[in-house]
Amino acid sequence: MPEENYSIIGKSIPRVDSRAKVTGEAIFTADIVLPKMLTAKILRSPHPHARILHIDASKARALRGVYAVVTGRDTVGEKWGVFRYTRDQQLLCVDKVRYVGDEVAAVAAVDEETAIEALSLINVDYEELPAVFDCWSGISPGAPLIHDGYERNINVAVKIDVGNVEEAFKKCVLVREDTFVAEEDSYFMTEPYAVVANSHADGSVEVWMPNASPHTKAKALSNALRIPLSKVNVRKITIGGAFGGRSDVFPAEFITCLLSLRAQRPVKLVYTREENSIATRMGHAMITTIKTGVDRDGKVLARDIVCYLDGGAYSSTGPIATSVPFLCHEQTYRMENVRFHGYRIYTNKPVRGMIRIHGRSFACGIDTQLDMIGAELGIDPVTMRLRNARCPGETTPTGSFVASCGLVECIEKSAEKSGFTDKFAQRIPYRGIGIGINSVQTGFPLGIRGGSQAFIKFHEDGGATIVSGVVDNGQGNDHMLVQIAAEELGLPVEEIRLISADTEVTPTDAGSYSMISTFAGGNAVKRAAADARAQLLEIASEMLEADPEDLVARDKKVFVKGAPDRGIPIPKIVRQALLQGKPIMGRGSFSPDVDQRREWISNPRGQLSQAFSFGATVAEVVVDPETGIVRAEQVTCAQDCGFALNPMVVEGQFEGGVAMGGQGGMLGEEHRWHRGHVLNPTMLEYKMPIMKDMPRIVPLIVETIDPGGPYGAKEAGMSVAMSAAQAYANAVGHALGIYFNHFPLTPERILEAIEKKPSGLRTVWDFPAARIIEKPDKEAK
Amino acid sequence: MKKYLLNIKVNGREEDLAVTANSTLLEVLREDLGLTGVKEGCSEGVCGACTVLVDGRPVRSCLTLALDVQGQSITTVEGLSNEGSLDPIQEAFATKGAVQCGFCTSGMIIASKALLEQNPCPTEEDIKYALAGHFCRCTGYAKILDAVKAASEAYTPKKGPEGT
Repeated sequence: MPEENYSIIGKSIPRVDSRAKVTGEAIFTADIVLPKMLTAKILRSPHPHARILHIDASKARALRGVYAVVTGRDTVGEKWGVFRYTRDQQLLCVDKVRYVGDEVAAVAAVDEETAIEALSLINVDYEELPAVFDCWSGISPGAPLIHDGYERNINVAVKIDVGNVEEAFKKCVLVREDTFVAEEDSYFMTEPYAVVANSHADGSVEVWMPNASPHTKAKALSNALRIPLSKVNVRKITIGGAFGGRSDVFPAEFITCLLSLRAQRPVKLVYTREENSIATRMGHAMITTIKTGVDRDGKVLARDIVCYLDGGAYSSTGPIATSVPFLCHEQTYRMENVRFHGYRIYTNKPVRGMIRIHGRSFACGIDTQLDMIGAELGIDPVTMRLRNARCPGETTPTGSFVASCGLVECIEKSAEKSGFTDKFAQRIPYRGIGIGINSVQTGFPLGIRGGSQAFIKFHEDGGATIVSGVVDNGQGNDHMLVQIAAEELGLPVEEIRLISADTEVTPTDAGSYSMISTFAGGNAVKRAAADARAQLLEIASEMLEADPEDLVARDKKVFVKGAPDRGIPIPKIVRQALLQGKPIMGRGSFSPDVDQRREWISNPRGQLSQAFSFGATVAEVVVDPETGIVRAEQVTCAQDCGFALNPMVVEGQFEGGVAMGGQGGMLGEEHRWHRGHVLNPTMLEYKMPIMKDMPRIVPLIVETIDPGGPYGAKEAGMSVAMSAAQAYANAVGHALGIYFNHFPLTPERILEAIEKKPSGLRTVWDFPAARIIEKPDKEAK
Repeated sequence: MKKYLLNIKVNGREEDLAVTANSTLLEVLREDLGLTGVKEGCSEGVCGACTVLVDGRPVRSCLTLALDVQGQSITTVEGLSNEGSLDPIQEAFATKGAVQCGFCTSGMIIASKALLEQNPCPTEEDIKYALAGHFCRCTGYAKILDAVKAASEAYTPKKGPEGT
């Protein structure tokens, strides 16, 4: 294996950012203090759907200590949307509010008390409008329209049709249709959202905020504020988690910039925990109807899926969010005939985005139904999955070639390690074991911002600095870049510095939201470092009188292969290069090989991503039939991450994925509602796992050495997060002999299911099926 | 608003401060003393990120009024390392992969410090109990548990301030 030759890559070395984080030195956005800084607060809509008739902010403006007040009238009304065709959100509402929490006005004042008092002095006259709070009422004929021109409130409609589903169903020995429902979940990253904006006399503005792509944020702010992109400088800052919830552009940063430009002072906005839940993003609620047909061996011959996603008030990443649950599924399972209709429906609820386990009802539905089919045919869950699992060298239904794939190995290893087959056959009352499998993309076609570039410079002492646009949300991207550069340059990690995620200084990068940071950003840094190393070896070859091909950079020395004792220290080479007027400056770039013609709605075919990760998770649980409480005892999770650049970091991603995807995502996490109001926006009421809840986790790293990834690496951890939800669902079902179709599996639902316990192979609840929506002429766009 | 004199010892230093009656300890530490290692995650005493030691006991600084700790000794995460050398708990968190985004880290370390000062050889259950009031969304807690176990092995409880 090639990794035996690596000195730094593939080793579990501590992250370079950990020291600043254990001493409290790391600065997050809310920690920033600037001279003359003001505090901002936002006035939000108390109504789920209303017309704004009039806003009187004169009293607030007159309050002592208030420096700026802005409403929709102070904006140019520019609408934000991730795509040109989804621009539907005014970053400060002008004419209507569409959910409880929509941004109506904002103030900047000397302190928080003054800002809150100023908000109370703003008078808004609303005309309340009828509202819709779920998919079914949203699409019912005659429902109030949340956005003009979107009939039946259909925000996005995705249609994928491959092969001939109807004909294939006729050849099946068994066909079944089931409907699965999942409620909204939330990110609850530990850092509440915050923004600091600092405007300058030259018309520029600096912005700090948690983000998953500084360059995307800068472009959106430039558009909305109508100032040149070169005058919006998004700065690097420590970020307290993202999980998909920092990917989009929010009114918060636009408003903070606007206030700062108005007041000509720095302004800080820190969200409360409630605001973080309501006014950034949350997960979609979903209804998924799955019809699957198989042959005698359990091989899936045809599948037809209709999915409704409750999208909330605005588009956000709508076309991506509508497609991804299907795409993950088509990567995981082989099918020649498959059809998908996905509809994202506008409702008068907070805006939904992609979340770490986006598509609970979809993924858990697929795997629950597969177990039901297996039960009917007398085939165990592991065999059912092995017979349908994706293999390397294949092409997905929508046309993505899968270069590397360790899914079969993941299934076999997790099943073997957990003793799945025996435990599944044992049938001990209230004890269950379940398996889930999934696959995640490593990047999407993202146009001009789809790749990554990097520079490397050397210092006189032989140390080096990387310049890269990659952002670290907490997963360890900063360390990943440093570890790669250290390997390539033959330097210890301590001698590599990093400048990243600062739009003024760092080159474009794809952002972290499509799981591409390692693949694109890592490759770009690897190439920049290889370029710098080649220059270094060139100089060294003259000094050593040897061919550059025969030289190695390692342990801060360059030497002829096999003769490490007679090497030249790197600092000496760097200085020699400076003397010769050939300073060492490496540069590298990487653009993933994807089909840029692929489009989420208009053309969902072609290479989606250059690489895909695959995972299989097995959960073992015990259910208390009196309380409905589930105790997870052990979770065995295997993922093909291509190559583990740092096994300790990769394991950490797996373990976090089990907590958020399985333990929290399947056993307790959901929002509850009353007419558009979130009843549990805080950490007190929204039930996330704590340390006492967690099972023993057995992480199994599977390596397939992807031909395109840096050292063969792909995405690490997301396939575990997704498959953990499926594994937990199936394990609880197995413990009770019940097939669940309403997620998450809260104690209330489990008790209800035990009471209802349907006989035979049926899901617990009879939900109405999601059906194809026939629309008057045009596709919603 | 009227201000009151507050004398507290923070990370070993005497501090004289003028604070309003409604100031929380969290606000005083972060805003008046610049100790931003103390994090505000929920403002209602649930997430644990703002935990500091008050006379050795772990306390939610977001729910503690500053004037209530008059005369007491406060330790924040900034007070654990000494001239660049880390406390064994900090060292273990950094080297065992217990830190990802880092937002919960200060509170986790402080709660672990309180535990190990009192009970240098905790069982796994003791650790889980001591850290039950702390949310981490990144790690799944596994490596945090490992770190506290590792720290407990390296840990010798310090002698009291009297040097006894």
